[in-house]
Amino acid sequence: MNMFSSCMITALVILTLPIIMSSTKLYKNKLYPYYVKTTTSYAFMISMIPTMMFIYSEQETIISNWHWMTIQTMKLSMSFKLDYFSMIFVPVALFVTWSIMEFSMWYMHSDPYINRFFKYLLLFLITMMVLVTANNMFQLFIGWEGVGIMSFLLIGWWYGRTDANTAALQAVLYNRIGDVGFIMTMAWFLLNLNTWDLQQIFITTNDNFNLPLLGLLLAATGKSAQFGLHPWLPSAMEGPTPVSALLHSSTMVVAGVFLLIRFHPLMEHNQTIQTLTLCLGAITTLFTAICALTQNDIKKIVAFSTSSQLGLMMVTIGINQPYLAFLHICTHAFFKAMLFMCSGSVIHSLNDEQDIRKMGGLFKVLPFTTTSLIIGSLALTGMPFLTGFYSKDLIIESANTSNTNAWALLITLVATSLTAAYSTRIMFFALLGQPRFSPMILINENNPLLINSIKRLLIGSVFAGYIISHSITPTTIPQMTMPHYLKMTALAVTTLGFILALELNLTTQGLKFNYPSNYFKFSSLLGYYPTIMHRLTPKTSLTISQKSASMLLDSIWLENILPKSISYFQMKSSTLISNQKGLIKLYFLSFMLTMILSLLILNYHG
Amino acid sequence: MSMVYINIFLAFILSLMGMLVYRSHLMSSLLCLEGMMLSLFVMMSVTILNNHLTLASMMPIVLLVFAACEAALGLSLLVMVSNTYGTDYVQNLNLLQC
Repeated sequence: MNMFSSCMITALVILTLPIIMSSTKLYKNKLYPYYVKTTTSYAFMISMIPTMMFIYSEQETIISNWHWMTIQTMKLSMSFKLDYFSMIFVPVALFVTWSIMEFSMWYMHSDPYINRFFKYLLLFLITMMVLVTANNMFQLFIGWEGVGIMSFLLIGWWYGRTDANTAALQAVLYNRIGDVGFIMTMAWFLLNLNTWDLQQIFITTNDNFNLPLLGLLLAATGKSAQFGLHPWLPSAMEGPTPVSALLHSSTMVVAGVFLLIRFHPLMEHNQTIQTLTLCLGAITTLFTAICALTQNDIKKIVAFSTSSQLGLMMVTIGINQPYLAFLHICTHAFFKAMLFMCSGSVIHSLNDEQDIRKMGGLFKVLPFTTTSLIIGSLALTGMPFLTGFYSKDLIIESANTSNTNAWALLITLVATSLTAAYSTRIMFFALLGQPRFSPMILINENNPLLINSIKRLLIGSVFAGYIISHSITPTTIPQMTMPHYLKMTALAVTTLGFILALELNLTTQGLKFNYPSNYFKFSSLLGYYPTIMHRLTPKTSLTISQKSASMLLDSIWLENILPKSISYFQMKSSTLISNQKGLIKLYFLSFMLTMILSLLILNYHG
Repeated sequence: MSMVYINIFLAFILSLMGMLVYRSHLMSSLLCLEGMMLSLFVMMSVTILNNHLTLASMMPIVLLVFAACEAALGLSLLVMVSNTYGTDYVQNLNLLQC
């Protein structure tokens, strides 16, 4: 009983040790990355103890450490909530981070600031842990902002490159827009429920939770790159591959979904918010899957794949299945991190070549990477009994059998088949066929750091789904019986996507590339969204501010409103209406004639 | 009606004809307008003086004032036309423009 809290706190404190040591001579040591990696692995092993205790005895703990302050009637303290969600997520995150750190010891080997890189990665991990184990919204917000800042620092790691700086700024700005929603939710809870503690929020009944849940949805849209605030995620691929693997596939971008999962007791009674989440997730998953089809950068394709899976998680929340969404978060971390690491291996081996049009024929040259890439892609698409199957297939089944928006369901199915399509595209262009890269490269993947890290995640990708879903406590009961065509839907659309993509790739392999069609342009320019939003909105606001500052008072109010508008109006209307021709003599003569005639007639009449 | 009134009335009719029927100069129309005003003034004054309508003695003065105003207006229009075309021929006034 006591071991629970002490083990967990130990694990979290161990993680902070290398940060504390960074002011000593240890930081200048060449072995500092090794120390950080071992720290993370020890933290993982120690955190497995509370997790297994939790699985065995199903007890949850809340550790309230330190009373920070009391603001009038609200008490703020540092408290950790170790329940189902955080207990299972922490070991998964630590495991994946351990493998990524080992991988980045190989990837960033020649970087002179590798110690700082590891410190940043560790800081990110700590803030992510803070976010996940937070029991009140203030601590969650600390973690939330922390991961945002570390994302900014890590995306702009190679800060000499303009694109990297722009991408980091983009990430921060889009996250900030989401933070507005988060702060609005915090303010609402403070005003109406007088607390930021999750327990008190869940037991207080209120009629209408629409406004705070909308704020949370906005926060999730910003952090998890849903449609509308999504362009930062593909741009974030400017950072090094370990950063992409850690932040933008497994850990940071799921923070938004995690937030919504944390608040599921509020969401399960609110149909409006659920429908909004469902539609938003469905749009996201389809849109990003379409964009992924025509990208040429291998990291961007995987980034869009991440975005699509995040949309799928939002769809799951929208059909009121938070536990399935959480399961998908955990399983997705494994194979997505592995996909990024394999693409990092490919990129480094081909001497920093990221364009899939210049890869090819790596099947024989990089056998281990090929294996893991194929297994990762199969797990991603939901191949039966690999990891992705246990979460993704359950999600599709629940969506099929629930009383939900049929349009959103259809879109999700289409996006599932597109997942298979772009995975085939990666495998086809990067691995199969004849090599399209320069032959003057020495390709060697035989480094124990690389092999061991990918191997660990490989075993995770194959078995973790089985292990996790058979170990966890029962949650919402999945639908057991359904017609066979509904059960086979996910498998059928995935197979359709695979076959279609393979056939198309094979038949068009040698053909000449014509002018791009409109659909191609839509897809490869990311639906024109960044082009429009990054140019039109700033230009409009700048133009409005310039015009209102310079022209509003002087020329409009003083000159144009009355004087010039009256003269202009008179001139225009006179030219429009009058049809005289200036025949004065005719007018005078007719007047005279009328007078004479009238005199004669009246005289005669009298 | 006595002969005086018929005389003045005839003068008025003659000026009216002169204003309505003319060849080319706009100025002749304006001159006849002045003639109309003059005959009206005389008729008004004779009527008032003959019938001892003392209280209406103001009216010829007012008529004179308004006649002066309209003469000024007519002359300014003439000057505008003459500025554009050099003469005041009435066949120049076929454009709807000054």
